[in-house]
Amino acid sequence: MSRAPAPLDRRIALGLGLVAFVVLWATERPVGFVRDESVYFAAAEQFSRWWGLLFQRPAAALSDAVITQAFDFNHEHPMLMKSLFGWSHTLFHQVLGWVRPAAGFRLPAFAMAALIPALLHLWGSVLWGRRAGLFAALSFFVVPRHFFHAHLGCFDMPVATMWLLVVYLFWRAEEDLRLAPWTGVAFGLALATKHNAFFLPLVLTPFGVLAAWRSASTEGRRLLVRMGQVGLAFVAYLGLVLIVKGRAGLVQSWQLLSPQTFGVVALVVSLSALALRLRRRDPAAFVRVAPLVAMGLLGPVVFYVHWPYLWYHPVERLAWYFDFHATHVHYAWTYFGQVLRSPPFPVAYVFVVTAMTLPVSLLLPMGVGLLRTGVRNLGDLVPALGRRFGRGGETEWLLGVNALFSILLISHPEVPHFGGVKHWLPSMPFLALLAGREFDRAAAGLSSALDLTARRGRAASVVLAAIVLLPAFTLTVHVHPYGTSAYGELAGGIPGAASLGFQRQYWSNNVTGVLPWIDTNSRQGARVWLHEVNGLSFRDYQRNDMLRKDVIPTNGPEDADLAAVQYHQEFREQEVLVWQAFGTWVPATGLYLDETPQVVVYRRPER
Amino acid sequence: MNETVHRLRTAAPALAMVLVALLGLGFQLQLPRAFPSDADYRAVAAAVRGARAPGDVVLLHPWWTERARLFLPPDLPVVAYLGHTADDLLEHPRIWVLANERLPRTPEADFRRNFLPDRTPVGTPQRFGPLTLTPYRNGRARRVGLSVVEAFDRLRISVESPAGAAAQPCHRSGTRVQCPFDASVEVAWHEVLYQPVRCLYVLPPSGGRTLSLTLPDGPAADALLLEAGITWEHAWFPDRAPVELRLESPAGVLHLRVPAGHEGFVSGETPAAAAGPWTLRLTTANPHDRQLCLRLRALGGPP
Repeated sequence: MSRAPAPLDRRIALGLGLVAFVVLWATERPVGFVRDESVYFAAAEQFSRWWGLLFQRPAAALSDAVITQAFDFNHEHPMLMKSLFGWSHTLFHQVLGWVRPAAGFRLPAFAMAALIPALLHLWGSVLWGRRAGLFAALSFFVVPRHFFHAHLGCFDMPVATMWLLVVYLFWRAEEDLRLAPWTGVAFGLALATKHNAFFLPLVLTPFGVLAAWRSASTEGRRLLVRMGQVGLAFVAYLGLVLIVKGRAGLVQSWQLLSPQTFGVVALVVSLSALALRLRRRDPAAFVRVAPLVAMGLLGPVVFYVHWPYLWYHPVERLAWYFDFHATHVHYAWTYFGQVLRSPPFPVAYVFVVTAMTLPVSLLLPMGVGLLRTGVRNLGDLVPALGRRFGRGGETEWLLGVNALFSILLISHPEVPHFGGVKHWLPSMPFLALLAGREFDRAAAGLSSALDLTARRGRAASVVLAAIVLLPAFTLTVHVHPYGTSAYGELAGGIPGAASLGFQRQYWSNNVTGVLPWIDTNSRQGARVWLHEVNGLSFRDYQRNDMLRKDVIPTNGPEDADLAAVQYHQEFREQEVLVWQAFGTWVPATGLYLDETPQVVVYRRPER
Repeated sequence: MNETVHRLRTAAPALAMVLVALLGLGFQLQLPRAFPSDADYRAVAAAVRGARAPGDVVLLHPWWTERARLFLPPDLPVVAYLGHTADDLLEHPRIWVLANERLPRTPEADFRRNFLPDRTPVGTPQRFGPLTLTPYRNGRARRVGLSVVEAFDRLRISVESPAGAAAQPCHRSGTRVQCPFDASVEVAWHEVLYQPVRCLYVLPPSGGRTLSLTLPDGPAADALLLEAGITWEHAWFPDRAPVELRLESPAGVLHLRVPAGHEGFVSGETPAAAAGPWTLRLTTANPHDRQLCLRLRALGGPP
């Protein structure tokens, strides 16, 4: 079976991507600016100015001092998406004036998110047919939380896209050598999107190596072992330096001309030479390992080149970058009535929250799909299971591992658990893909049971898909644009989740629900405290005409005329401080989603 | 027969998907029936307004249904916080429970276990759309002779040093009592384990010194109830110093300790006390993150 999609499926994928892009753009306006998003907008504008300088005065722009000045802000994340946001904002808002500022920044995020349904269809249609591909694409997109995150000028949905793209290209390149360099480039771009991508080699290396080993000749295997030895030798050397010098010592001693740099060069040269020899001696094995080689060679280069902040101080700044994410602060998060503030976090958290936030009609095929894949993969190891349920094979292992990897990674009790579902989004397209297979099986079974003709079978599939997707669609329509508050039927919807004691919302974007009221009911020059809305977001609401420009932000309720408090369990004190400052516990209005308080507005009584 | 079974088995995955989808749709379609209208809330407010008595309180069930605050009389206390079913509400002889049991996953077991003991319905439940309003007699209520929150203006407050040096008096500045060594006392709303409380808000003095609060003319009481809790997120830090409290009154001495990492109030009750001065001393080795919410009340029998 060829892994290349049929021409018609390519066109369907293109259509899916275009429709997704248009839908996201059309529904973007009411989506609030989550706390980090406005930071990324500001960073994007700053980087845009640097690009302008690069064209006008390249010598100045390329100096260490100017690069540091331009890129120091928000250097905890790499540059790809922020650069795209900035260029898009400059072109579509500032130059052409086609869109409002926020949409200008967000357009690249829509494009990235729109790639997911397209890729899911490309992959699913090859694996299990057009019906599976289409259902996979739609089932990912209509999940309320996915739909919400797809709107944001952030990195969580883009890195889910890039993860899927890298794994898809890796899978294709295992058959078609021409795609190996693209896998490497995609991996570099994934690294340039968000740090999740640094785990991709961990996930993909066993697949590439095992596939190569299976198809390799004796000579090929000898070369593969040698490549492994070279890689291990480098890791062992770094480990030794780390033990002797410590982390700070390793970073400080890593200069342009240092043993470490020599080690990297030796590693790259040796692996390249061995890879070239493998290509000559055992082409079949080389095809299988080529995507990994491309990832190893091109990924770091793309990552380094895309981020000027690394150009003059690669080791020191990379070390800071890794350190920042390895020791990330834990934000409070509510789970079954407990405010989780520090590790160890409950191991079941990610599984429970996934089950509670997915619409139940999609949870079923995703869950069954994952279960089937797990059993079939076990069938590769336990012959009795294989005879009973079938065997997985390389592709199904790849899908299963990727469907679980991010979920299991975040399930680790020491890993930060805040952020709703966004941290394990890279798992979700793979679950959607497995759901596509389950849908295809169900639809095929229905057609067979009813003895339907091909044409009627297609009609029945459409009806079945509509029924299965409808609850998710209605839930998404109902909750939009307040996606961080969405809960599925298993939780009892938004009110059920409130009673169970789940996180009500996060990131303050729900404040858009009360901005029109504030605009209408506040005096000229009113002082307003938008709790949890940072100064940049406040500015963005005003410059996108979502809040009157004469309204003045305050840092707390003490000197405010109006206060809009985000309901978070851990922030109850903030609301009580408003009672104290305003002398009343009676709100003026609020955003109540399905009765649950999300944003509560208080007005200082007239004196 | 075999053919039918075979067909059913073949179609089972599709039927399961349809069934689950229809259940999901059914849930979504019926959910709005659980949401009260503004008119429902206004009718509740009118009913409470017409029948209220001094000391009444409204308790919302589930605890998070606070949209009711928009409509209820502004001077009527409303209790709604995570864990509120366990609140004795001892200053309130009658509790109006405004319940919405049509909401999914309403915590009924918690309500039965923590709220209902010692509470007796004293009227027939009234229905307003999905809402039910039921008055309960609060068997846990006590007469409150005096609260130091209300007697704040009469408190004598000073800071005592460990070596036995003379106490340094604090001075009133607006609504706050400002003390040496960064200590202060005021009456304010704060949160203790999600419970909004109007209390004596105390910042303890630094250097292991003792803050002393004296009420010179405490009334006679069946008991003195002392409650102390660290406010907001400062409570959970496990590595902070404990706070020691010592209440001297005609009933004797009561010791309390707020341990590190303890969230919520710790409380203690004295035996019956004659009229006389009450002196509360509190000290902590390190006042960092030890913002304290204090309540001290003279309790009588049931109202």
